[in-house]
Amino acid sequence: MPALLRMTGISKRFGATVALRDVALEVHAGQALALIGENGAGKSTLMKILSGAHPPDAGEMLLSGERYRPANPHAARLAGVAMIYQELNLAPDLSVEDNIMLGQERQRLGWLDRRAQRRKVAAVLERLGHPDFSPETEVRRLSVGAKQVVEIARALVMEARLIVFDEPTSSLTQADAQRLFEVIGRLKQSGCGIVYISHFLEEIRNVCDRYAVLRDGSTAGSGDLAGASEQHIVSLMVGRTVDELFPQVPHTPGGVLLSLTGLSGRESPREVSLNLRRGEILGIAGLVGAGRTELLRCVFALDPVRSGQVRVANYAPSASPRARIDAGLGFVSEDRKGEGLAQSRSIADNMTYSRLGPYRRWGWLALRQRNAAVRNWINRLSIKARSPEAEIQTLSGGNQQKVAIARVLHQEADVLLLDEPTRGIDVGTKAEIYRLMGESAAAGKGVLFVSSYVTELLAVCDRVAVMSRGRLRAIRPAAEWTEETVMACAIAAERT
Amino acid sequence: MSNAFPPIETESLSRGRLNLLGSALGPFLTLGIVILFFAVTDQIRENGGTFLSQRNFRTISVQTATVAVAALGMTVVIIAGGIDLSSGTTVALSATVLAWGLKHNWPWAIAVAAALATGGLAGFLNGALISLLRVVPFIVTLGTMTIYLGVAKMIAEETTIRPDQATQVPHWLQELLSTRNEALWLGLPLGVWLALGLALALAAVLRYSVFGRYVYALGSNESTARLCGINVPANKIALYTLAGLFVGVAGMYQFSRLSSGNPTSGLGLELRIIAAVVIGGGSLSGGRGTVLGTLTGAAIMAVIASGCTQLGLNNPVQDVILGVIIIAAVTLDQVRQRRMAG
Amino acid sequence: MPLSRVLLLVFFVSWGLAGCSGQDAAGPKSPSGGGAAGAKKKYRIAVIPKGTTHEFWKSVHAGADNAAKELGNVEIIWKGSHLEDDRDGQISVVQDFTTQRVDGICLAPLDSQALGPFVKEAKQEQIPTVIFDSALDDESSIVSYVATDNYNGGVLAARQLSETLDGKGGVILLRYNPGSESTNQREEGFLATLKAEFPGITVLTSDEYAGTTENSALDKAQQLLIKFRGKVDGIFAVCEPNSTGLLKALELEGLAGKVKFVGFDPSPHLVESLRQKKLHGIVLQDPVKMGYQAVMTLMQHIRGETVEKRISTGEYVATPLNMDEPAMKKLLNPQQFGE
Repeated sequence: MPALLRMTGISKRFGATVALRDVALEVHAGQALALIGENGAGKSTLMKILSGAHPPDAGEMLLSGERYRPANPHAARLAGVAMIYQELNLAPDLSVEDNIMLGQERQRLGWLDRRAQRRKVAAVLERLGHPDFSPETEVRRLSVGAKQVVEIARALVMEARLIVFDEPTSSLTQADAQRLFEVIGRLKQSGCGIVYISHFLEEIRNVCDRYAVLRDGSTAGSGDLAGASEQHIVSLMVGRTVDELFPQVPHTPGGVLLSLTGLSGRESPREVSLNLRRGEILGIAGLVGAGRTELLRCVFALDPVRSGQVRVANYAPSASPRARIDAGLGFVSEDRKGEGLAQSRSIADNMTYSRLGPYRRWGWLALRQRNAAVRNWINRLSIKARSPEAEIQTLSGGNQQKVAIARVLHQEADVLLLDEPTRGIDVGTKAEIYRLMGESAAAGKGVLFVSSYVTELLAVCDRVAVMSRGRLRAIRPAAEWTEETVMACAIAAERT
Repeated sequence: MSNAFPPIETESLSRGRLNLLGSALGPFLTLGIVILFFAVTDQIRENGGTFLSQRNFRTISVQTATVAVAALGMTVVIIAGGIDLSSGTTVALSATVLAWGLKHNWPWAIAVAAALATGGLAGFLNGALISLLRVVPFIVTLGTMTIYLGVAKMIAEETTIRPDQATQVPHWLQELLSTRNEALWLGLPLGVWLALGLALALAAVLRYSVFGRYVYALGSNESTARLCGINVPANKIALYTLAGLFVGVAGMYQFSRLSSGNPTSGLGLELRIIAAVVIGGGSLSGGRGTVLGTLTGAAIMAVIASGCTQLGLNNPVQDVILGVIIIAAVTLDQVRQRRMAG
Repeated sequence: MPLSRVLLLVFFVSWGLAGCSGQDAAGPKSPSGGGAAGAKKKYRIAVIPKGTTHEFWKSVHAGADNAAKELGNVEIIWKGSHLEDDRDGQISVVQDFTTQRVDGICLAPLDSQALGPFVKEAKQEQIPTVIFDSALDDESSIVSYVATDNYNGGVLAARQLSETLDGKGGVILLRYNPGSESTNQREEGFLATLKAEFPGITVLTSDEYAGTTENSALDKAQQLLIKFRGKVDGIFAVCEPNSTGLLKALELEGLAGKVKFVGFDPSPHLVESLRQKKLHGIVLQDPVKMGYQAVMTLMQHIRGETVEKRISTGEYVATPLNMDEPAMKKLLNPQQFGE
């Protein structure tokens, strides 16, 4: 039986940059292939070629044994290749149903056949394990996790033969992820081929049968997942052995730095009280929509506070982001593209927006001093960039995230409010970010670390708090939690 | 860990600078092509050869000055992700205020200051309404566009205000945009030098001042600006006010050229002002635009108008050419951007 | 790759255009014998109207063209600003022709003051200017002013309207646009005559401006008709777009033919309406003569002859009764450029 998809000798250049060099890939019907590699290794380019967004410079693709060379993404869709991208492609003003059926509307004489659509949408949502979704909801009102469900549902409607998942779980809760894994299992049973891109080696084992590793645009290795050790795969990815995925920097908690008392926002958080100490990394776990992001935004005065107090080192700053920055808070947004970074501005601008003071001379900018400082940070964080003047959008996701973190470090913030700082970035960069968090704590700063990836919370944090429905349910030393107890706490509170 | 990656080389830095210049390269190329086209055609033509004359370029610089100065202000607004549809009628309002002041025997310094202040105030109002009402700039300035037209008509009592040239209008203001030899100063009239000076100052502000950085930040991503503690409403009001001041200067130019203040003489002008910025590489979605590009954009339009007259091409042809150039310039720029990003 | 292709395309298009206008210029040159001794100098005369879209200016263009054909050694360059009231645009056109060193300019100024300095500048460059249609305040730099006596046109309108109203009733004056000299004269002539000769007529309003387009005139006229419904017996509209807009407003309000209406300048549509007695008079100028006379006067000056400082081209009133007389017919359907 021939492979469902066979890519051989795929090469692609952009100007002087070689993005892919002689890459081979094979996906069998009823199997899932894990496509692994650091950011910038060429995974995205390879998938863009597969989906018809870019033509390859050389190489051949066979789909079910027939020559496959899509002229554009639409042709790829017609051929039965569906993509689920990391950046969600949804129309925020349309309803869940309209988004799922977009471009594949059921119609009768040019009029929408709402009944048929509703049936189809309900069936698909049922398959995804989300029969409770209201099809009329505007997509803009959904959380990131829920949006992704819609995106996946859209691909399911197409009944594609080959589905590419580009980090589908990076923003899903574990419960949602588990449901997704079940769906993928069913897709495999029905004969679909899956390409699954993820940084989470644990879940890859859950979902996939085979793996292929890309490094610097070439195939670094491939094979059956059964029998391949995690160490082996990671070493294929980074080209060197990584002894630790979670580097530890010794630090000891000191006096209280940030204290929240009865903090309530518009809907969430609700009456959250906690103390963050100097030299402490405090993790916050919870499902999507549990109010973790809102908590950080209230602390940073980006969202209105209804009641309660925020005190930094016993001082209550007034309610504006500027005042909070001056009080020593630094915030890294979960939404890099929409909020965190000005994409068309330079690294230097983005890194220093929150603290231009040192370079201000009568309203003018001392550009040379600033560039020197920025270059220093670029080196310290190993940001791969042409120059401090390079635009953010030319950087890979991991390097963008480093710029966002460099901003709060440059700002010399005492309290780092990090919202999903490791989402959508590669293993190597993640390790660097953990190390930076550890170093900050060692330097006497406090870190509030929101993440949906319980493993990293337990590995990196001193204490972990669990939130649900806007409330803080429990707060304990990390050693006293397990992944199961964290999830149980998050879900149990959800049910009450 | 820091030794894992090589430090940034100075060579790559200079490449970054080249790109900066490159952002105004597209419009420059277009201007070059347009000039070349008219120059060649003009040479071939009987009685031709005047297009490339120094005198003709002087004339073109004078003809474009009003739009160019207003477009400088618009550049700031567009970079910050806004738009100002009221700029056209504000030009006429400022000119009307200036004419009114002179007609009522105000000292010229006061009258000119009043005209500039009028522009600034109009911009301030735009900025304040946009920030405080949280209505999109397009709608707010669509409203103020007719408000300012109305105010100008009230001041002028629905006619044209004509101060006496001999006794009420100062000599320098009459000669501000005159191409007569006596009015020139190092080959160009005072008004053109002033416009160039303002452009240089604005370019410096955008590139080297903290406020300039904030303007780009606002247009690139307003949420980021907020998150970084930038006072968004205050900076918006400031930038619209600054743009208004430029529009006030443009009003003074218009008065100098028409030697009268007419409330309706700014209608439609806003589209030419916006076109100058857009041809010059400004992006209506914000975050992009340069002073050099805007000046080039204004120059392109003036060269086309002048060249078509000289070639005896009629207005319909000129309209079509300008439209084609606008679309072509912007397309060219986007193609270039995409290649750089790809 | 796409960039270079675009550039190539632009290059070829400009090359092609250059070729075309090159031929244009070469056309009239070749019969003169390729620069043989004694070849007649070809005079290039720029004619700058207030606008290019109205019928009136097309007739002026025809007149100027007639003159050029008659003289044989004159080339007319016809170029207006884009809109009828774009003063800055018209100034630019004058400047461009001055730079280009045409042999003479005929100009219908959009503003009686704003264009003055630029006509003076042309004179300093030894380029003579004849003003037509509308006056320039500063007459020191001009060769001659060729125009209708607009004041007298207003007088004729007042008399015609009063005659149809039997000397009594309420009338509206629909003005054109602030700052326009020619229409202002008509308005003053109209008002002065009513006051002096027809005491039975009340002017209901005389300070409403209809604007420069048919559309703006329609809007304004409709508002006025609603406001003065039942009181208005007659209306005078001072130019062609005004008249057309007003006529439409009368039709929309069901008042066409009931309210007496005198217009200024004809168009085929207005002439037809005159026949249907929806209009009761059209004051006529002679635009063909105006264009002809402006070019002729300029050429006389260039040849060194003395010319009159002020030349009137005549004004007439067409009524439903006299409209079929041959002289009127010619004025009601004036020759247009290209016919």
